[in-house]
This record gives sequence, C-alpha cells and structure tokens, in this order.
Amino acid sequence: MRLAAAVLLLWLVGVPPKAIVVLGPQQYVETINPKMGVHTRLTDEVEEWKIKRTLEMVREMGAPWIVEYFPWAYYEPQKGHFNWEHADMVVDHARRQGLTVIARLGFVPEWARPKGSTVAYLHRASFDDFGEFVYAFVSHFRGRIKHVIIWNEPNLSLEWGYQPASPEYYTELLHFAYVQAKQADPDVQILAGALAPTLAPEGSEWGMDDLVFLQRMYDAGAQDYFDMLAIHAYGWKFPPDDPAAVDEVNFARAELLRQVMLRNGDADKKCIITEGGWNDHPRWTKAVRPGQRIEYTIRAYEKVLEEWDWCEGAVFWAFRYPRPARTYQDYYTFVAVDFTPKPIYWEVQEYARRES
Amino acid sequence: MGRKTYARHVLLILVIGLSLVALGVWYRLGRGEGMDHTWAVIQQARVLRVGMDASYPPSEELDETTGELQGYDVELAREIGRRLDLEVQFVNIGFDGLYDALIAKKVDAVISALPYDPFRTQDVFYTISYFNAGLVLVARESETEIDSVDDLSGRTLGVEWGSDSDAQGRRMVKRLDGLNLHPYPTPLDTLWGLKNGEVEAVLVDAVSAHHFIKHEGAVKIVGEPVTDESYVIAVGPTSTELLSALNAALLALRDDGTLIRLRDEWF
Repeated sequence: MRLAAAVLLLWLVGVPPKAIVVLGPQQYVETINPKMGVHTRLTDEVEEWKIKRTLEMVREMGAPWIVEYFPWAYYEPQKGHFNWEHADMVVDHARRQGLTVIARLGFVPEWARPKGSTVAYLHRASFDDFGEFVYAFVSHFRGRIKHVIIWNEPNLSLEWGYQPASPEYYTELLHFAYVQAKQADPDVQILAGALAPTLAPEGSEWGMDDLVFLQRMYDAGAQDYFDMLAIHAYGWKFPPDDPAAVDEVNFARAELLRQVMLRNGDADKKCIITEGGWNDHPRWTKAVRPGQRIEYTIRAYEKVLEEWDWCEGAVFWAFRYPRPARTYQDYYTFVAVDFTPKPIYWEVQEYARRES
Repeated sequence: MGRKTYARHVLLILVIGLSLVALGVWYRLGRGEGMDHTWAVIQQARVLRVGMDASYPPSEELDETTGELQGYDVELAREIGRRLDLEVQFVNIGFDGLYDALIAKKVDAVISALPYDPFRTQDVFYTISYFNAGLVLVARESETEIDSVDDLSGRTLGVEWGSDSDAQGRRMVKRLDGLNLHPYPTPLDTLWGLKNGEVEAVLVDAVSAHHFIKHEGAVKIVGEPVTDESYVIAVGPTSTELLSALNAALLALRDDGTLIRLRDEWF
C-alpha cells in the first residue's frame, strides 16, 4: 500500500503541470484608425500562450484587423476528416481580443494533389475538393469569421505549384469556392485577388502583371464570384504618397486595381489591403531605413483612413514570426520572435492612441 | 603453451590488430566520411571560391567604373588567399542566396559581412569572428565622463530612429534616470548630431563609427561594444580542414595587425 502511494506520489510529482491559458474577458481595440491591421503568422505557432500574447499585442498596438492563414492541409489531413482545434484556438483568442479575422485559404493536402507536387499545386480535378473544404470552413466558423480570401497571389506560377498563372483558371476556382461558401453562410464576404504586385512582362513563365490579371478575371466572369477585392500593397522604396503608375510597384498601385474595378462596373464593391508595408533590412535592395519604414507605415494607415473610402482596411505584413526567417523577411515584423516590440510597434501604437 | 603456439597467437593478434587499423583507415578514407573533399579540391586547383553579395559598402561593392570588386571583405579574402597560397575567385551572389550557394558547393566559403547566426550551426561551420559590427557608444573626443552606457543618466543619447540603436536606447531609458533619446534618420546624421553638440553620446553600429572617425574625426568609441554582430566566414558542413586553415589565417591576420589595418583602411 505504502509502495503504491509512493509510486503515485512520484508520478504526480513527475508529471509537468499543464499550462492553463484562458480566453479572458472580452477586450476591445482602442484606436483612432479602425482600418489598421496586421497579418499574423499563427499557423505554425503551437503554444497557446504565444497565440494569446500575439493577439493581445496586436490589440494593444491599436489594430482591429488581422489576416491569418488557414492551410487546408492542416485542417483536412484526410478527405472529409476535419480537425479545427488549432484554428478554433486562434479565432477564439482573436475575437476575445476584439479583433476581426480575415481568413486566407490555400495549401493543398497531399491527398488532393499528385505525388511530388508542391503544396500550391491544385489541379482542376480537385476544385470540388477545395470547394468542399471552403464549405466546411465557412460552416464551422459561421458567426466568427466573416471574410475569406480565396487563394494567394494567383498571378504567380509558384502559387500554383509552377503551373502557368491563369486568370481564367483562378476565376473557375473562385466560382467553385464562392458557391460553396454562400451555401454555408450567405453573409460571408468572399475576397478575390490578393494579387502579387508585379510588372511581369507578357508571356513570363513566372507570373502575370496584376492589372492585366484582374482585367482578365473580369473578362472570364469573376464579377459574380467575389464580394470584395483583396489587395497586396507593398511600397518597396517609395513613400505611400508616391503616385500610382502602371510601370511601377508602389503602395498607390492599389488605386490602379481600384480603377480596373470601376471600369468593370464594380464601384459598389470594397477592397481590403490584406498584405503590404515596408521592409527595413540593412541590405535588401527594396528596403528603406527603419525611420522611413515607421514614417511610411503610419502615413499609409492615415492615407487609407482619410483618402481611400473604397478600402475597408489596411493589413500589413507581418506582425511577428513564430521563429526567425533568417532572411530579409525578418525585417517586415513589428515584434521580434521573443515578443520584444520593435520601435515601429511603439510608434504605431502612439499613432493609434493619438487624440483624434 | 609451446613456443610455436605462442608465436602463432602473437601473429594472429598482430594480423587482427593491423586489419582493424586498415579497416579504420579504409572507413575514413575509402568511404570518404569525415574527409574534407572541399579542401582536397582547393589544394588541387589552388583556388578558393568565395561567395559574397557585393552590394554592401564599405564591406563589399562593385566599382562601377572599373567593374572590380572592392571593400574590406574583398581585401580580407585576398589576404587569406595570400596566406594560404591560393588564388581567390569571387562569386557575386544575392545575400539571401549565399548559404544555399555554400550548401550546393557553388562556393567554398562565404565572406560577406556575414553575421554569426546560431540557428545555422547545424548547416554550416563558422570561423572565429574577424570584426564585431555591433552597436558601440560614441562620444566627443574631449569627453571624459562617459566611459560606458552606465554613465548616460541625465544625458541625451542620439540613436537612429526605428533601428536597433533606438530599441536599445528605449531599454536604457527604463533603467537610467533622466536619459533622453534624440532620434535621427540615419547613423551618419546621428554622428553629425554628436559632433555638432546636439547630443552627448550616440549609439551606432561599429562600421559607421569607424568610418566617421576616419573621415570626420572629433569623436571616439568609448567602452565595450553594446551589442554583438560578429562577422564570420562560413564554410560547408564537411569542410573541417578548410575551417582550420581559415581560422589559422584569421588568427595570424589578427596577431600581426592586418585586421586592424583593413579596418582602418575600409571603415
């Protein structure tokens, strides 16, 4: 008996206590700019406290919007078998912090693509499978997620597993996804596009000019299959007020995409910038100085609020990475991997807390 | 045991022992594991292929008029080549592609203002550091009361807005009474602010500090480096002999003052 008690005691002492992370009370974002947002990277964040801390810091910075990636392969590892545990954790913590989640869907599971293909490879024969995933996702998150982006940067061939980037092909996928999403939740907003800003020449094997791609989406009948346009607005070395030009990639290129919408009778639809911003790597050719990055970022948030009434939000890449990328990508973040805020975090927070 | 039997046993033990030694030699050389093929190829060709991203002056850049590479790392690589009696061939690669080029054996070593990265130590070997480019505290030459960051209470410190120096400065403000930060747009502006008397000290990277001291003067580095950004040379994960040779060359360059001379010449 004593021996059994001793064994039990030893076992209890040896078992590490389970971390308890609670959702906590409902929070609200305090900000002078309700259009501010950041793209979080919680997909590969395992520990719940880190997910919660990330989202708390987003709220404390004053950004009410986040975009988060929900990889199809993670949530439907086998056809018809869904596991939403991690996605639920992210979404519930985000909502408890008062944040609006925009979900980006992509990442093809192994069972839905040929062996040896990349995770972006999606054959037409699997469009139905993707549509069913969209239906399952939107049904599961009905009432919690209202905005869903279909695919990422479809004007780049790498985003199709190195198949040619085709606006007609993407429009077909959009059709499948839109119909399924609306069946699951008629109120869900389907975001199309999220096109990579690029000046790729005609016939390039790597990608297609985003303005050309969008027009060809309209030509292929995409208008009926999206509610909003997702825009990627990177500034590279140019300030946010640098004027838009068809032969230049800058922040204001978003206005040119908007003009394509207007030319196609889509004035009533809104846009959301779902990626964008500036980079302050010391030696990347498209980077700016850290102070410029702060100045441009805040000005861009202001610009979207004051001048772009057709744009509902500006979500910038990227709030924090779960681990260092060890490339120039690390210099897009607002917060270090260990949660240490960078100066840009404090400056944006100060802007968001200014007297309006 | 008779003499004959004893001799047979000794012979048998010798044969087994020699076989084991031969097996070991075969395992190391014949199988090739643990052998530095890179070094063998370098020795045969008498050429060291150095990867660098020549877009980061004054460490490395392409002289637009002559088309020649120049900078601290270029001279360092040439100096190492001289010490090892090797011709140096430079391969200009974008910074993000340097490690891949090394792993794909397109180059033998990377010398490109490459900071030591603890996350990469499973993929590559690093030499000892040849320069610390981390943040340093700089004061005016006439300054006698500031010897380290601990002497900054009640003073004004110049930093580059938004940079690591800004982040460090904000942390210092929390622990040092009365420390004020003065942000500047670039490290050069920060150093000019110091020279012009707008601030009492500045926090800038060591390259900017040395460059300013050489060209403008009237300021000095005080105390130990505030952060570490150790520039190292990277070699492939099996290049053990090349690593030893490079380390020996760097130690010699350090001991005979060549590293200081290169710093003074280029930074």
